[in-house]
Amino acid sequence: MTKHSSVSLKPAQPVSWQRWVWVALAVVLLCYLPIVLTDRAIFGVRLSNMQLLNIGMSQVNLMLIAMLGALSLNYLTGCAGLISIGHAAFYATGAMTAAITGTQWGWPFPLVLAAAGLAGALVGTLAGLPSLRVRGLYFVLSTLAVHYVVVYVFLEYQFKFFDVVGVPYNAASIGPIALNTPIRWYFFLLPLVALVYWGLSNTLKSREGRVMMAMRDHELATTSVGVDVRILRLKAFAFSSSIAAMAGALYAYFMSNATSEAFGINFAIQFIAMIIIGGMGSLGGALVGAALWLLLPSIISGFATQAGDATGIVRLLLVEHKAQLVQMIFGVLIIVLLIFAPGGIAGIGHKLRHRWSVGKDAS
Amino acid sequence: MTNMLEIKGLSVGYARKGLALDDVSLSVPKGGIVALLGANGAGKTTLIRAVTGLLDLHHGQVTHGQVALDGHAILGLPSHRLVRMGMGQVPEGRLIFKQLSVEDNLKVGAAIVPRGQVRERLEAVYTLFPRLLERRTQSAGWLSGGEQQMLALGRALVGNPRLLLVDELSLGLAPLIVRAIYQQLRVVGDTLGTSMLIVEQNAKLALEFASSAYILNSGRMVLSGSAAEVAASDAIKASYLGTKREQPEGDPGPDAQASQHAQESV
Repeated sequence: MTKHSSVSLKPAQPVSWQRWVWVALAVVLLCYLPIVLTDRAIFGVRLSNMQLLNIGMSQVNLMLIAMLGALSLNYLTGCAGLISIGHAAFYATGAMTAAITGTQWGWPFPLVLAAAGLAGALVGTLAGLPSLRVRGLYFVLSTLAVHYVVVYVFLEYQFKFFDVVGVPYNAASIGPIALNTPIRWYFFLLPLVALVYWGLSNTLKSREGRVMMAMRDHELATTSVGVDVRILRLKAFAFSSSIAAMAGALYAYFMSNATSEAFGINFAIQFIAMIIIGGMGSLGGALVGAALWLLLPSIISGFATQAGDATGIVRLLLVEHKAQLVQMIFGVLIIVLLIFAPGGIAGIGHKLRHRWSVGKDAS
Repeated sequence: MTNMLEIKGLSVGYARKGLALDDVSLSVPKGGIVALLGANGAGKTTLIRAVTGLLDLHHGQVTHGQVALDGHAILGLPSHRLVRMGMGQVPEGRLIFKQLSVEDNLKVGAAIVPRGQVRERLEAVYTLFPRLLERRTQSAGWLSGGEQQMLALGRALVGNPRLLLVDELSLGLAPLIVRAIYQQLRVVGDTLGTSMLIVEQNAKLALEFASSAYILNSGRMVLSGSAAEVAASDAIKASYLGTKREQPEGDPGPDAQASQHAQESV
């Protein structure tokens, strides 16, 4: 037959130094960002609130925590193809584990995080069990059921040991370093998000990750290449919910208080919105989606304070119906993206990059 | 010598629908290529489901009979275990992973191959289907129908199966392309000694390619024998193969040319 034995199968993309320059630049910017946001100035030049888009450190930290949730949900839904509206439940699991081990037993913060991760994996595996029998919409409903069960347990727990005000959490500290300022939280959360991102993207490039994405495309065909998809689904669920539970514990510690109402169905749906906006199946998209979701409301508020003496429709929208405006923007954004760019913002970016590289090749 | 696949007295029923297969026996000898023919609804797909352990998924049940892979009883084993025992499956409708690249599709197929051998196996498949090498980094959804079928075959062959089950390879493909793909499959059979069970609606093509053939009709095995015998059987021709529009057999000239052409133009 044809001789092709000398086929070279090696790397499509060599690692270029340019990439490292970009990474270094991003690290520098990200490290400088909190200083800008706290001093409200760049190299001594003061910036107005407007110029900073009304964003403060707390929003950024909450965004980083939400990024963990969005990443884990996108891993589960976008990459493994399992739709879950139970992600708030995993957050609640993490927050409750943190309450038991941290607040009640007085464990140190890093141990609490690990415990939350373990508990999340456990609850996630249980929540994933229905996936062995039911598919599609029925499975989505089963995750919804899990959501209500977990939130109910949290509620009972909260009222048995604490009260309506919610569960209080200790001040977080890692060894001798107390996470008592937004900047310290930032420098703790940022590497964590980077680590989770890096870990997940490596998982997706591994043999297991590839098989998982294959399962999303065609379950039957994945079985027919010798993969037990049931185990794979449970693994994906456990992994994703473990990350979400850790994010939940972080959230609770960061807010220093948690109630069962905080983890309502809206909380779960916001993660779905984030990954739709950012792009299903794209980890970078999950970051973008989480950023938009958390930062846009304060940006709108910033505009609202500026538009104090405006009249007509601007005033109607920005000042009198600020919350509705935010919701409307997200609603329209999601609908428009679903219709015109099902790949979300990551999909648009991908297309643009493709067009750009095609143009470059042609010239 | 045991056969690679041995089906004995297999009866399969679907819930509330009576028997889909009635006392069917079939064997694929080691290194042999066997065609399973029959019209729509004859039970071909049911037989494949029973062999690949996918009956449960379709609410079917084996009521009688045995299936053995290389002497080991396999009825009731889950599908993914069977693949690991050496049963490669090319599902009907190809079912390639459209969102993954061609190479990733093959790598998924190599999930059961020890890591050290993956590259070697990929190269073997690329050698067999050079077209896949050209399309290596493209996402599989962009492939043509013929290329997708090659990919589906490649995905099964990467796992180095001892028995390859191919369901409706010709579905929706131009005959020239189908013939070219069958030729490559024969290369696989000749070089690796892979046994094959080919389920096919296009009886003429399948009979050219296989060494023996079985014909199913309404869940019963109505004829079996060497490919030549089956092809020569007038009654069968008349009822299932639609002889009327076919050209006389036995002139390989145009066929060989045609497939040569197909290989270049796929």
